[in-house]
Amino acid sequence: MTILNTNNLTKSYGKKAALSQINMEVPRGRIIGLLGPNGSGKSTFIKLAAGLLVPSSGEIFIDGQAPGALTKAKVSYLSERSYLSDWMRVSEILVFFEDFYEDFNRIKAENMLKDLAINPDDRLKTMSKGTKEKVQLILVMSRQAELYLLDEPIGGVDPAARDYILNTIITNYKEEASVIISTHLIADIEQILDDIMFINQGELVLSSSVDEIRETHNKSVDGLFREVFKC
Amino acid sequence: MLGKLIKHETRATRRIFLPLYGALLILTIFTKLVMAIGAPDFFSEAASNNTIAEITLGISFTLYFILIVGISVMTLVMIIQRFYKNLFTDEGYLMFSLPVKTWELVLSKLLVGLLWSAVCTVMIVLTFVIFSLGTFSMMELTQAIQAAYQTFFVETGMNLNLFIAELALFLAVNTVASILMIYVAIAIGQLFSQHRVVAAFGAYIVITIVLQIIGSIFMAVFAIGNLDILILNGRSAMSTIQWLINGSTILNVVFGAAFYYVTQYIMKNRLNLE
Repeated sequence: MTILNTNNLTKSYGKKAALSQINMEVPRGRIIGLLGPNGSGKSTFIKLAAGLLVPSSGEIFIDGQAPGALTKAKVSYLSERSYLSDWMRVSEILVFFEDFYEDFNRIKAENMLKDLAINPDDRLKTMSKGTKEKVQLILVMSRQAELYLLDEPIGGVDPAARDYILNTIITNYKEEASVIISTHLIADIEQILDDIMFINQGELVLSSSVDEIRETHNKSVDGLFREVFKC
Repeated sequence: MLGKLIKHETRATRRIFLPLYGALLILTIFTKLVMAIGAPDFFSEAASNNTIAEITLGISFTLYFILIVGISVMTLVMIIQRFYKNLFTDEGYLMFSLPVKTWELVLSKLLVGLLWSAVCTVMIVLTFVIFSLGTFSMMELTQAIQAAYQTFFVETGMNLNLFIAELALFLAVNTVASILMIYVAIAIGQLFSQHRVVAAFGAYIVITIVLQIIGSIFMAVFAIGNLDILILNGRSAMSTIQWLINGSTILNVVFGAAFYYVTQYIMKNRLNLE
């Protein structure tokens, strides 16, 4: 069973193609690294899957359906932007998520907030950028979704929190769910990945399991990345 | 899901409006009390000997007008800001990943915008009622209203209720169409890759000009088709006004529907958050 598949998926902004002719299948139960240099089309791909962009041509399906209200209920999306309203308290945002997402587990979210010493009564505007990112990640990972789309989830947080977050990612998702993580901080997340997809200038250049890479290339993913994308 | 969107939209906006309306009510009641106790003749020509009350009233009426203007402006600003900021800036990343349909997002913003516009009108009327308490008798008022209905019927041959209903419908439809016109301008602005706010202003101006032209054509056709009515006497002057009001209502329904459709089409198919 695939959770996500695409068929000649293409997205252009004006004349510039951000993604061209992507064909892929993402099985359930995997953690996939979507890896590529800046501007390679990683965010565009994730936004297409999240239903925030509409393909210019080709198709993308989540669990067999084109992105829409139904797929958004199954997809937990972490944007690269800080998307929470500044005036809200963390506790109010929990209510918001609980209302809109049936699969949101409030107790889990409250426990994670406690672990990271974030006070639910604090307002977002009093928090540092890193703390806001933690709150967002906690919200996203507290859903029992079928597909997690994490766009640069660890960019702005400190290494200690980074470990906690990665641990959260591995331990929190259901067995039949998949996680797609886009990042260029490969070394940090390499140990949790099952599969990788290298994407460059809008094209899928390599798709493989991490074990395969270690066997056939005799290299770490980070090492292979540096080789493939050598400037 | 529409209900939940409306609930959270109301929560996000009431934190601004409830304190403002609270302040307005307190100020109105305070002013009324000062007037009743210290200067019952404030609005009449008769000179009063209570200077302190007069000065207090002068200040509180000034505050009252500032507050009324402030609340009206705030209502408009909120209608624009909740649509633009909540949907098309960073907050849009959350709103568009909710499991809701695009038209529900537009409709929830519109309905809550209308709600606050209605509250604004009702509250202003309420303050007038509070100010005028005790200055008229219910019987006189009823008599005056009855007289108005009769005069209106004698002069125009029309029921005043019908005319008021048509006028109310016109105002309601006009408000909806005006809000949707702001939405569609903001949505069109999103089609540009840069300077989206400027583009939205530009779109608004262009739409205004187009509407003016369509309106003028409509008026011209109407005038040519009804030359005989334009040679006015009492009755047909009224029916001309009635025609204009209802014609404008229909035009506004058509424009409003077009604005709504284009807005949700752009948001659904051409969305590209910055």
